[in-house]
Amino acid sequence: MTKPSVLEIDNLQVSFRTSGGRVAALNGVSFAVGQNEVLAVLGESGSGKSVTAASVMGLIAQPPGSIDGGQIRFGGVNLLALDADDHRRMCGKRVSLIFQDALSALNPVYPVGWQIAEVFAIHGMADRASAVRHAVELMEAVGIPAAAERAGQYPHQFSGGMCQRIMIAMAIALKPELIIADEPTTALDVTIQAQIVELLKETHAQSGASIMLITHDLGLVAEMADRVVVMYAGRVVEDSDVYRFFAEPLHPYAMGLLASQPRIDRGAGALQPIPGAPPNPLALPSGCAFRPPCPRATLRCAEQTPALRKLASGRAVACHFADEQAL
Amino acid sequence: MAIGPIPVGNAGPLLDVRNLVKHFPGRRRGLFGAPSAIRAVDDVGFTLSRGETLGVVGESGSGKTTLARTLLRLHPATSGQAFFDGEDILTADPAALKRLRRRMQVVFQDPYLAFNPRFTIGETIAEAWRIHFDALPRSQWAKRIGELLEQVGLRADYAGRHPHEFSGGQRQRVGIARALALEPDLVICDEPVSALDVSVQAQVVNLLVDIQKMRKLSLIFVAHDLAVVRHISTRVAVMYLGKIVEIGPTDAVFERANHPYTQALLSAVPVPDPRGREQRRRIVLQGDPPNPASPPSGCRFRTRCWKAQDICAREEPALLDRRGTGTLSRCLFPEAGPTTRLPHGQLTRGQE
Repeated sequence: MTKPSVLEIDNLQVSFRTSGGRVAALNGVSFAVGQNEVLAVLGESGSGKSVTAASVMGLIAQPPGSIDGGQIRFGGVNLLALDADDHRRMCGKRVSLIFQDALSALNPVYPVGWQIAEVFAIHGMADRASAVRHAVELMEAVGIPAAAERAGQYPHQFSGGMCQRIMIAMAIALKPELIIADEPTTALDVTIQAQIVELLKETHAQSGASIMLITHDLGLVAEMADRVVVMYAGRVVEDSDVYRFFAEPLHPYAMGLLASQPRIDRGAGALQPIPGAPPNPLALPSGCAFRPPCPRATLRCAEQTPALRKLASGRAVACHFADEQAL
Repeated sequence: MAIGPIPVGNAGPLLDVRNLVKHFPGRRRGLFGAPSAIRAVDDVGFTLSRGETLGVVGESGSGKTTLARTLLRLHPATSGQAFFDGEDILTADPAALKRLRRRMQVVFQDPYLAFNPRFTIGETIAEAWRIHFDALPRSQWAKRIGELLEQVGLRADYAGRHPHEFSGGQRQRVGIARALALEPDLVICDEPVSALDVSVQAQVVNLLVDIQKMRKLSLIFVAHDLAVVRHISTRVAVMYLGKIVEIGPTDAVFERANHPYTQALLSAVPVPDPRGREQRRRIVLQGDPPNPASPPSGCRFRTRCWKAQDICAREEPALLDRRGTGTLSRCLFPEAGPTTRLPHGQLTRGQE
């Protein structure tokens, strides 16, 4: 992490009120997104990866949610200290968001061109005619054929892949410094996924914006990311550059995740699943949340929650025993 | 075309599907026009041997789920035949169908919707014996439920619990236990692990493989996740717009694919290994799959194919082994092989 950071998340704690009691979604999450970096936030359902993104964008509804502590620093300002209006002014132009389900993220009753142009209108960047012209240019840039005609069409007239392209057009419209992509390809078929990945890569190369890629897909991480932050039960358990992560994951959960992933470039051979059930956020075990299925767990893991330690190599891991076998 | 049913017995394949067609009525053309047909499954044929796992892959709209549901006769076929141990599933009368269904079971995709929330999982499993009342005497139900639950890695005393008390992976295990209750010969799994997280998915995949081996089950494994399919299948069928475009032994399909669509599909899957990613060659298909209500003439893949020529629009390629690699494909110009065309129209069945 020699590059300066665009976004720094420090000890973020978020919880939600539910019928079953208070659920801690994030238990002290810290990581930074470097300039021009593609950072993948990798985790399974309930790990807190989407809550992290929503916190940055100020999209946590309070109540039932509550931000219990920590800081999110962007452009030298702690976003959590701002009120909603200031937050929007700060982030609206400089941070943008790509959702998983583009069709439901777009407004069904307005033409897509109008929705892209709206971005310029809200941020007072253009008059009506040039906003529409910009919108069409953006649609062309993200590979929508016959963009001028299609700008007048509604979201339901586009396929899932095309809707995702429109989302990307909106996301890059104001030339943001940071794009948060929350599972941008999960809802798409694999050949369409490949198109969107190519588009995201081009977008990254051309705009130089940092991308925070939230995903559960190890393949997508290996394809796009410079660095990966692995989340488990609302904590960061590993923070590593992508090459070393796949070559030698440090945290036992990360190892388990890689071993349980079937691979298209390999034939049969038993998968090695992580035993047991994923953690119940209402009843996390004491100490390390990964302790129950962990092959290395000892008494110490129950008594003491491992902190995210920086190793000599620049990687970080939250496991008492991680560096013993690695490095 | 009209070949009689294959003799009953262990010699023939367990399942022999020929020219299976399933059309759904589409939108009406004008007020008085006939409704167009959505050709969800169009002339599909394959065989499945005992103890074999056939993976069926394809993207949304390729017809893979419709194929599974038509074979189970969850909706009627438009035409074609599907012989299960010599008996046609598609024309069986109710009594025969009940007999057949006892031997073919299903595991559904969504572990949250596949169960009656008011039933305990013990009742869910026993439902099969309630319907097939001669399958197992009532006195043995409780014991057998316990055995089945243990076989799928759950505790026998979970039988009294309700579905909401289980996680997605556990529910999918219950779904497998339910499918095994009648000791079927064939289990059709429709996207059984796509709703699960990777770490849990691996547990369920391993369970399916173990049970399949132990019981010598035949499996049809419908999925869009190619890595999972490669892992579990002995043979693979690739579907595109209602047709099987390539079918063959798993390793042959994954390593020496003939059909350009298969090649594109395989190359589109991101590999969880960043080494050499800048050099990796990838076929990125342009555009979206066409509308199945009006598929392109000739080869259905030609609108997205980089090899397409005029003849591809005129002539629909038959499912043939043009390169002698053991896989059948619907392409006139399969990769690297000699492009000698074989007489069109004679092959009626998609099997070795």
